[in-house]
Amino acid sequence: MMSLMKPDMQMDESFYKIEDIRQLTGNAFSIKLPKARFAFKAGQHISLGIVGGNQSREYSIYSGENDPNLEVLIKEVQNGYFTPQLRRLKVGRVLEIHGPFGKFGMEPELAAHGKFVFIASGTGIAPFRSIIRTYPTIDYTIIHGVRYSEEAYDRDQYDSKRYKLCTSRENKGDYYGRLTGYLKSCTFAPETHFDLCGNSDMIFDALEILKDKGFDRDQIHCEVYF
Amino acid sequence: MITNEKKTVAFKTLGCRLNQYETDALVTDFSNAGYELVDYNASPDVVIVNTCTVTNQSDTKSRSVISQTVRKAKNAVVVVTGCMANNFKEKLERQDNITFVVENSRKSSILTLVDSHFSGEIVHPDQLPQDVFRYEPVRKSLHTRSAIKIQDGCDNFCTFCIIPMVRGLATSRPVADVLESVRKTVENGFKELVITGVNIGRYEDGAVKFENLLTMILELPGDFRVRISSLEPDGFGDDFVKLFAHPKLMPHLHLCLQSGSDKTLLRMRRMYDVAQFRKTVKQFRAIYSDFNFTTDIIVGFPGETEEEFQQTLDAVNEFNFSHIHTFKYSVRKGTRAERLENHLSEKVKNERSLLVRNLSVENKMNYFKSLIGQKQDVLIEKITQGTASGYGQHYAPIRFKITNGQRNTIQTVRLTELIGDDENCYLAGELVL
Repeated sequence: MMSLMKPDMQMDESFYKIEDIRQLTGNAFSIKLPKARFAFKAGQHISLGIVGGNQSREYSIYSGENDPNLEVLIKEVQNGYFTPQLRRLKVGRVLEIHGPFGKFGMEPELAAHGKFVFIASGTGIAPFRSIIRTYPTIDYTIIHGVRYSEEAYDRDQYDSKRYKLCTSRENKGDYYGRLTGYLKSCTFAPETHFDLCGNSDMIFDALEILKDKGFDRDQIHCEVYF
Repeated sequence: MITNEKKTVAFKTLGCRLNQYETDALVTDFSNAGYELVDYNASPDVVIVNTCTVTNQSDTKSRSVISQTVRKAKNAVVVVTGCMANNFKEKLERQDNITFVVENSRKSSILTLVDSHFSGEIVHPDQLPQDVFRYEPVRKSLHTRSAIKIQDGCDNFCTFCIIPMVRGLATSRPVADVLESVRKTVENGFKELVITGVNIGRYEDGAVKFENLLTMILELPGDFRVRISSLEPDGFGDDFVKLFAHPKLMPHLHLCLQSGSDKTLLRMRRMYDVAQFRKTVKQFRAIYSDFNFTTDIIVGFPGETEEEFQQTLDAVNEFNFSHIHTFKYSVRKGTRAERLENHLSEKVKNERSLLVRNLSVENKMNYFKSLIGQKQDVLIEKITQGTASGYGQHYAPIRFKITNGQRNTIQTVRLTELIGDDENCYLAGELVL
């Protein structure tokens, strides 16, 4: 394949050529890049820019720590600036990746012995896929809130007994309504760790529900998406 | 061509303590190289403007200082550096009257650049080495206390903040360098050191984290005391509070709350909540009842409701900050908050800002009054007509009468009264002999 880099452009440690693009829904897709050249903890995020562009955005890593590819999950924002540009990218284009960043990362000892509830809205499921691929025996339940069931990205990759889909716009999930409605109806073991990832309103409401259920703030970890 | 005539240099610094430290280190560099430090208005041969870009207001101030500089110092070598030089590099480079625009990462080599210029060598700033820790320990300074830079950059990606783009991602100075810098700065005569960086709680050099490093610094021999510059509420562990029992560590923290509303904090992408902040404040004041907390508050963040703002006022009252840096939210291009909905009008931001500022003054006066009767060890910064002024352990401004006193000495003072009823109020005291 012909290189899409300008002839005078030097290949940098932080440059990654797109190897594959998986279309997941009408506006959501994953970008597969070569294996990360840095060590990361499942749950952490990276900054991603298009080489030659002047902006970057942060994305949670969608792949596991030991996967052969670095992968990110992206949803195109209508009338957005950056995601429509990502949407137009083809295999072979080069992205500039920096990272990893963030404290939202799974510790191996905790993964081995802890009990987890992962609460995600939309593409906020990305760090949890990374965690589950890294620690396949982890004791987890995912509560995934979306509008339509087609947004249950890569659902078949999770244990169906551990994956609870909440759909707010159609009755095609395990629960018809917002994930916070489902969360209210749940009971959890006192030692459960909660990891929340998604938009700030969902996280605020979920935090309040969990605090009302008596869980300590130190048991709850959050990653806010915008 | 280098002449025997002594070159003169002047500095203008805007913004944070880190910028002030970097200017002080440059002052030391230029002074060691034989340059004479002169006033900005004295037609210097070189003017270095160390800019800030954290808010719109900082941009305006930086632009105004740059314009003033190029107007006044027509024949001078004008070097513009600091965060604005990163944020608006190309625009500044297009200005003919600015000789050099130097990014933060190359700031420590400005002397090399200027020397090369005077010797007729053509060096572009981009050829300078990139090293954010290459600064010499401060010897000659514009300040009484010296900062110790332990860290630079941040990758918290708070939605309002442009710092990761202009200061780069978090990086820590090696432990040995930090300790050596402390030793030399103390040898240079400084009595008070301020531990500084962009996000110092993120310090990490191998297994050494922020609290470990601070312990090592406190254990170094010498007659000095230590302050911590601003700190993020999630930048330390439960044992941090115990370190303040050390006599060298001063009982004051600038702990950045930003908002008293959990909803707003989440939109800001701040990874703590008000309850966690409360826990920290309580933990400190349970041990050190008069511990001084100051903070930063952003008012008028996109989507901030009346209720959310009221929660901020409640938090300000509850935590009794003795000072609040109040920032009206201003859009920084390229940040997440730029793309948030419901940006508030300037009118609302002004009104809210005024309310926080008024409360801040009230709290400051109450806190200062609570110190009356106490003895404080004051580091003298200035003596004017027999009146010394400086700061005590708790970082309250104190003035007292003195005869034969000297700057940069520590004197014990008993606090007697509060003078003034505005932002500039201070404590008056009597020297304890």
